[in-house]
Amino acid sequence: MKLFCRRVIAALLLCAVSGIAHAQEKTAVRQGFELKRNSQKKILVFRPAVSVGAQSTGGMFEPNADWTEKSKANIRIALEKFQRQLGNEIVIAPEAYGEDARKVEEYMALFSAISQAVIEYQFFIGNRLPTKKMDNKAGIFDWSLGAGVADLPGAKDANYALFIYNRDAYGSTGRKVLQVLALLGPGIAVQSGEHRGYAGLIDLKTGDLLWLNADSQIGGDVREPDGSEKRVRQLLEDFPGSAIEKEAAK
Amino acid sequence: MSLFHSAVAGALALTSAAADKQTVAPPPPPYAGVYQPQGVDEIGMWREDDESERKLAASALVIRDEKLNAYVRNVLCETVGADRCRSVRIYIMREPTINASMSPNGTLRIFSGFLLRLRNEAELGAILGHEFGHYEKRHTLNRFKAARSGTDLLAWTALLASMAPSYDARRSYNDLELSVYGSLYRFSRDNEREADFLGISYLNRSLLRPQAAASVFQGLMGEFEASARAKGLKKPNFSKIAFAASHPPDAERAAYLTLLAAPAGASRDNGADRYRGALAPWLPAFLSDQIKLNDFGASEYIINSLAASGWTPTLWMARGDLYRLRGNPRDLVNAAEFYEAAVQLDPTLADAYRGLGLSLIKTGRPSDGQAALRKYLELKPDAADRAFIQMMLPVQGVGQ
Repeated sequence: MKLFCRRVIAALLLCAVSGIAHAQEKTAVRQGFELKRNSQKKILVFRPAVSVGAQSTGGMFEPNADWTEKSKANIRIALEKFQRQLGNEIVIAPEAYGEDARKVEEYMALFSAISQAVIEYQFFIGNRLPTKKMDNKAGIFDWSLGAGVADLPGAKDANYALFIYNRDAYGSTGRKVLQVLALLGPGIAVQSGEHRGYAGLIDLKTGDLLWLNADSQIGGDVREPDGSEKRVRQLLEDFPGSAIEKEAAK
Repeated sequence: MSLFHSAVAGALALTSAAADKQTVAPPPPPYAGVYQPQGVDEIGMWREDDESERKLAASALVIRDEKLNAYVRNVLCETVGADRCRSVRIYIMREPTINASMSPNGTLRIFSGFLLRLRNEAELGAILGHEFGHYEKRHTLNRFKAARSGTDLLAWTALLASMAPSYDARRSYNDLELSVYGSLYRFSRDNEREADFLGISYLNRSLLRPQAAASVFQGLMGEFEASARAKGLKKPNFSKIAFAASHPPDAERAAYLTLLAAPAGASRDNGADRYRGALAPWLPAFLSDQIKLNDFGASEYIINSLAASGWTPTLWMARGDLYRLRGNPRDLVNAAEFYEAAVQLDPTLADAYRGLGLSLIKTGRPSDGQAALRKYLELKPDAADRAFIQMMLPVQGVGQ
């Protein structure tokens, strides 16, 4: 009993400063949605949101400009490489100004809020809503950004829009040492580093969310060209109609 | 452990500031010129900040009125000087609360709620100068570094305490946690004092009245007190420092800002007329945002202090709206009186007739109320709520 108490106290103490690791990946497709290979559909890709940094010993995000710039470039190159294999035509969204830029910004924010809601309330164990759990069982995936997406710049010339988001915090040396010592000493798992990515496909006529792939422990070191390729592959491997081969093992 | 060094340094700076509190703030240090971020933390922070500014620039909350923006920018330049002013981009946000902030790359955000509360150009200069002080002293970076050292220390201590898990170890850890967080908040308050200090040294050197810095806080304290009184709460304590307070208490700030202001500046212009003129086109919108916060005491305090130099139709109408939205029968009688005062001064103020009509109908004077509503529709034929208002009017010419 006493030993148990000690474990609980120890766990509580470290939980205060560290998240505990869960491997999580999930994909969902809207019911009835099918994107055939070579169906001549056009997919509009918006500027990927990328933020890369380190994780301090205490768990804070330390932004790193150099890593972020490198990752942005690497991810763009990897996207270009994979776009031919996606099975449909990829169009990069034009740079927007003034009123258009405001609209794009609003929809980027809306997409991010909706994806977060899907991830939090439908996808992963923890905080799921009872209604969404029932949806999961019934295979229902019903979310929408609203028909206003049709006014986005470039939307007239495309069928779908693809949004991509990446956030990476690499464990600092201090964090890694803490992780090892916490495991060796009190036997507590401290997560070192945080790697989240998600990608979503929107119907540009109705605003419906057609496909979402979220991974809170996504692989691939985006600071390196090879790693970025792996990252983009993992983000897009379940893309409807894509010819990207799945990796045998993560 | 640099956290403890900085905490000690902060405490020392505070005592030295207390020692020369009697003296006027010295002139600001010479401007070092255009600054570029240095080191991995600062460069990373600026990049994140650039990204966030890109989003901000496209935000629907930003007020893009060129005249108002030019005016606020001009006040900043008058306060901090033309050279410093060039490193700043100002964003006025439509948000009815009291706040202004400055981020590391020179993005200055000021909320419309703050503009509504400030009473003259010198007060606006005091706020903008204070924010510029944060930027010049790079407070965000310093605070980030302090928070990182503090949480690093806590992570290691948590590990050590877990190795010897006893209630004593847990208690010591909790004590340390309190003192680390306490010192982070203290550090933040010291940053604010430093920014106040720098802000007033710009103001002393400018052509604006430096005494306005203290009057900002006197005004805010008056408002908070009025708000508490209307809610039936006891008078707030403006000298108490809460554990997690990010800013020094208002009474302390008002007191030291009074002492730091150059006495010779008291005879300078405070630019109240210019300020009022620049804000006039936005005043009805800002007042309406404020009234919707449902804080009767604060809203009435603001309207009354704006009316100190004379009641205008806009102010009468805002007061009418405030009372009508609270909506007790006694409030509606008062509201009707205020709307009447508004239309007497400006017989073309359509929305005042609307408020007048709605208030009169609810206080047993339907025919007077309907007359006012007709006048509203006559003045504003394309009103968005035309159909809704017409439902309250008997159909004319057709017997029912």
